[in-house]
Amino acid sequence: MSGPGGEVAGIALLSLRIALIATVIACLLGVPLGFFLGWTRFAGRRVLLALLNTALALPTVVIGLLIYLLLARRGPLGALGLLYTWQAIVVAEIVLALPIATALSAAAIQSVDPRVRRTALTLGAGTLRTAWTVALEARFAILAGVAVAFGRVLSEVGAALMVGGNVRFQTRTLTTAITLATSQGQFGFAVALGLILLALALTVSVIIQLLQGHGDV
Amino acid sequence: MATFDVAALRQAYGGRPVLALDALTVREGARLAVVGPNGAGKSTLLRLLAFVDTPAAGTIALEGKRIASGAARRGARLRVTMVEQRPYLFRGSVLENVAYGLRARGVSRAAAADRAREALARLRLKELAGRDARALSDGEVQRVAVARALAVEPVAVLLDEPVSGADRAAHHALFAALAEEQARRPLTIVFASHLLEDAYRWADDLLALHLGQPSPVTPENLFRVDLPGGSAMQEVQVGPLTLEVVTDRTGPATLAIPPEEIVLSTASLHSSARNVLRGRIVRVAEHGAAVRVTLDAGIELVALITRKSFDEMGLAIGGTAFASFKSVAVRVF
Repeated sequence: MSGPGGEVAGIALLSLRIALIATVIACLLGVPLGFFLGWTRFAGRRVLLALLNTALALPTVVIGLLIYLLLARRGPLGALGLLYTWQAIVVAEIVLALPIATALSAAAIQSVDPRVRRTALTLGAGTLRTAWTVALEARFAILAGVAVAFGRVLSEVGAALMVGGNVRFQTRTLTTAITLATSQGQFGFAVALGLILLALALTVSVIIQLLQGHGDV
Repeated sequence: MATFDVAALRQAYGGRPVLALDALTVREGARLAVVGPNGAGKSTLLRLLAFVDTPAAGTIALEGKRIASGAARRGARLRVTMVEQRPYLFRGSVLENVAYGLRARGVSRAAAADRAREALARLRLKELAGRDARALSDGEVQRVAVARALAVEPVAVLLDEPVSGADRAAHHALFAALAEEQARRPLTIVFASHLLEDAYRWADDLLALHLGQPSPVTPENLFRVDLPGGSAMQEVQVGPLTLEVVTDRTGPATLAIPPEEIVLSTASLHSSARNVLRGRIVRVAEHGAAVRVTLDAGIELVALITRKSFDEMGLAIGGTAFASFKSVAVRVF
């Protein structure tokens, strides 16, 4: 792709790619973890849930700083050479989305009617089938959590700027591009990028809503 | 062989005892009604018999085999099903719900669907098969839940207040369907109810529970009260009414007015009976030569009178009647 249109499309695609990869990885880890926290009872569970809820409010610049320190050349993972790559942004966004996916999944499981578990058991379901039944009953709430995580990752700017560096054609995402355009006084361009961002968020939200609408298994 | 054999069963929630049942035998093919007011321990007993909850102490044997371990309970749950007071239907169609237990037993999808359709047909719910389970009325939910519990052909089905939300015609249809199921194959039925008419009409055995223990009296006309004390003849507040009772006790107690001690009349009686209440007849249930008449006098009172008296007085649902009983007829415990 060439020209400004091609550059904008590249930025949008990169934003989408980063958000999708980060959300998928965060949800693959976070949803089962959230299910475990919502389903089981063990000592320290409440403390874990409280920590998780605190992590929800973690400022993205703090996440950016942590990942920067980890990936910096002299940092523990500096040898990987990830700093100022789009993969570094993915790592930061995973850290951002993981508590969201976990906490919202745990809340979704906890809010499932206790009769679901009892009914499954009285109908002869084993532990796995019972757990699966509870997860299915909570799936709309879990999907809503996935949507929130995706939206948060797609719209994030602080961490992306710090660990991605806003490098043209390499790590420039919609949000970092909007930041740059605004600082340069290119408000029209910034608004256009903002509209693309909104359109992307809306598209994914509609897809998730459609999934919820036809989700009966 | 007995379906259930219960010995020294105890259950407690948060250290608070809620059930103490020294012995209970439910024979195969029985229809046992567990009756009692709210908080009597009916649901607790049913959940223990369903092997969903673990007892604090005591044993339950299913078909002669003591069920103690988690694995044994899991196995027992494949042979006993339960319908909750407010049944939960999973998301999906009615057919998927009714097939659930069969799928949990490893029955193939197609075979489970066929058997689920048969179970629905037996409860005359065939037309609901394709419906969204979340779009049913309360009565339909209850009947679908019963079909779901029966679809797996359990040795026993436990029903917690199976007719609480539905109308009387639905009550009749449900119990008739259960009776048909029993005629078709061996099936033990245990149902909890606070309506004694249902218990008398449909059960062949009755367990009355009160505050978690077998009660010496059936739970008709049972009232929790606070006795003021002061003298042997006490005026006690029961709901909106004041009753006269004879007791030396003070503080929280339970009053029982035996239905056979209540005299019904069409006019207020001038007699030695210290308690005379005017009310409206709300339910009538026949039991051979006797009739159980439920009177709404601000509190619900059940009187047991002969069919002959009922007819001669011209009593009918909706009509007014007076209930009279002596202070000494009221049992306090």
